[in-house]
Amino acid sequence: MDELKPAVEIRNLVKDFKTSFRRQMLRAVDDVSIRIMPGEVYGLIGPNGSGKSTTMKALLGLVAPTSGHCAIFGKDSLRVDSRNDVGFLPENPYFYKHLSGAETLRFYGKLCGLKGRVLEERVTELLGLVDLQGARDRRLGGYSKGMLQRIGLAQALVQDPKLVILDEPTAGVDPVGSRQIRDLILKLRERGMTVFLCSHLLEQVQEVCDHVGIIFQGKMVREGRLEDLIAIEDQTEIILKDASPELVSSIHRLVENSAGASVVRVGKPRTTLERLFLRETLREDKP
Amino acid sequence: MSRAIHSLSSHLSRISVIALHAFTQLVRMKVFYFLVVFAIIMIASNFFDLPQHEGPESMGLNVLRSIKSWSLGTMTLFSVVLAIVATALLLPKDVEDRTLYTILAKPVPRLDYLAGKLLGVLMLVFVSLALMNLLMTAVLHIRTGMVMEDQMQMAKTLGWPPDAIAAMKAETLQQGPSWSLQGAVFAVFLRASIMASLALLISTFSSSTLFTTIVSFLIYFIGHFQADARDAYLQAGAAGEGVFARLISLLLSLVLPDFQLFNVIDAVIEGQALPLMMLGKLTLIGLFYAVFFTFASWFIFSEKEF
Repeated sequence: MDELKPAVEIRNLVKDFKTSFRRQMLRAVDDVSIRIMPGEVYGLIGPNGSGKSTTMKALLGLVAPTSGHCAIFGKDSLRVDSRNDVGFLPENPYFYKHLSGAETLRFYGKLCGLKGRVLEERVTELLGLVDLQGARDRRLGGYSKGMLQRIGLAQALVQDPKLVILDEPTAGVDPVGSRQIRDLILKLRERGMTVFLCSHLLEQVQEVCDHVGIIFQGKMVREGRLEDLIAIEDQTEIILKDASPELVSSIHRLVENSAGASVVRVGKPRTTLERLFLRETLREDKP
Repeated sequence: MSRAIHSLSSHLSRISVIALHAFTQLVRMKVFYFLVVFAIIMIASNFFDLPQHEGPESMGLNVLRSIKSWSLGTMTLFSVVLAIVATALLLPKDVEDRTLYTILAKPVPRLDYLAGKLLGVLMLVFVSLALMNLLMTAVLHIRTGMVMEDQMQMAKTLGWPPDAIAAMKAETLQQGPSWSLQGAVFAVFLRASIMASLALLISTFSSSTLFTTIVSFLIYFIGHFQADARDAYLQAGAAGEGVFARLISLLLSLVLPDFQLFNVIDAVIEGQALPLMMLGKLTLIGLFYAVFFTFASWFIFSEKEF
């Protein structure tokens, strides 16, 4: 039944906050509607203070909408049972420092009703998934930022939810850690999990998301399939490998002889700075 | 029916998970170090043997009273401080660290979260009091034995008749470890429980640990003379006759617990018995305030936005 229902349905969400100064109302989210179907990876992007986190909090029932409606798999977000199938990783979370990685997952697992052997197996599986088996019994106080984000992602997945909500999952993490989190999100997508994330790293959003929404000053300004949004409809890209200068000249001539078509740019494609960094640092890591 | 039982058991299970976690969190903050201070106070109280002007049959009883007085006083202080500070610390810390988001994003009702946190603090207070009580009872038991030995020797030397010796023995035993003393320790726990639930209520609308702590201590002190103030107000001429005045008085007693009721602890220090009825009454009062404050906290917390 759930397959037919949207994983996330936000309809005309409006959220006003009272400001302390003169009790004026501040509209953080203004008539935002988002619909995410099961299995989709949706990225919400926008500058700081544009209403991304408030939208996510409204979806999780952490703030009540001023007007509009939020539902998860058809259940009203303000109902506790709507959170049975959701995992959430907030921005810059500080988990309980006195707990070890395994204890943290056990705690969240028990809150979701897991116990006994099932819980222990799940804890081991998740620590493996986020590559933290080695830090299993180390207290979180000694974890790096990247490790904290990964244990945070593991706790979000503890009850094997159908929807994961990630608020800036790579904020403050170095490129290697950031890539690990990106790979984890891709793994979740392969498993058919629905992911709703917001991030400042547009390149990463582009790499993992199939749907994107751009929010600005509380309003949704653009939304749709990523491929549709970023494609330049009147241009075609051909990337050649080991092409001789003669072949390139022939292509140029062929284009010039075609009516209406023109060459916009010819050059060597560039790698990204992130890929260069990863390639160099991973090479240095090797003995 | 089975659905209701399942729902209740899942509530209880979540509350116990949060309570055990809060307890572990506080224990790992090394709060039990205060037990060393308690042990020092216990040892010191053994030396407060004030000069006495009673007969030889009262020899050493002052030390026993001193041990009880210092122990119960320290227990009261530590339990109230622990109850208020621990409760005032836990909630704002979860909000500040955003760990609260991760908990409330799971299927955890807000009442379960609050009840779990409160129970965690109460577990800590209970274990602390149990350890202090163990130490007090052990010291008191040993010291009572020593006092009785001295008294027996004295009685033999003076050639006291057996019935006088028995009376002296009974009087000394009254000052030693007794069920009334255990009841008094339980009353100390009840008072700390009321304060913890009150601090929980305050911390739901205050975002600062310091504010919660100060206001809680203020209410604690007011609670010790609110009954007198209420009586004085009601007896002050016409004010006492009006329905409005009585309503205010009722409201005041609802929000501010009357801690004078717990003065029975002083009587136990003096060697008097604590009636079971009185202990039952204190238990009911403690339960009433703990439940009332917890539900009031829930009322505020359920509407709170993060």
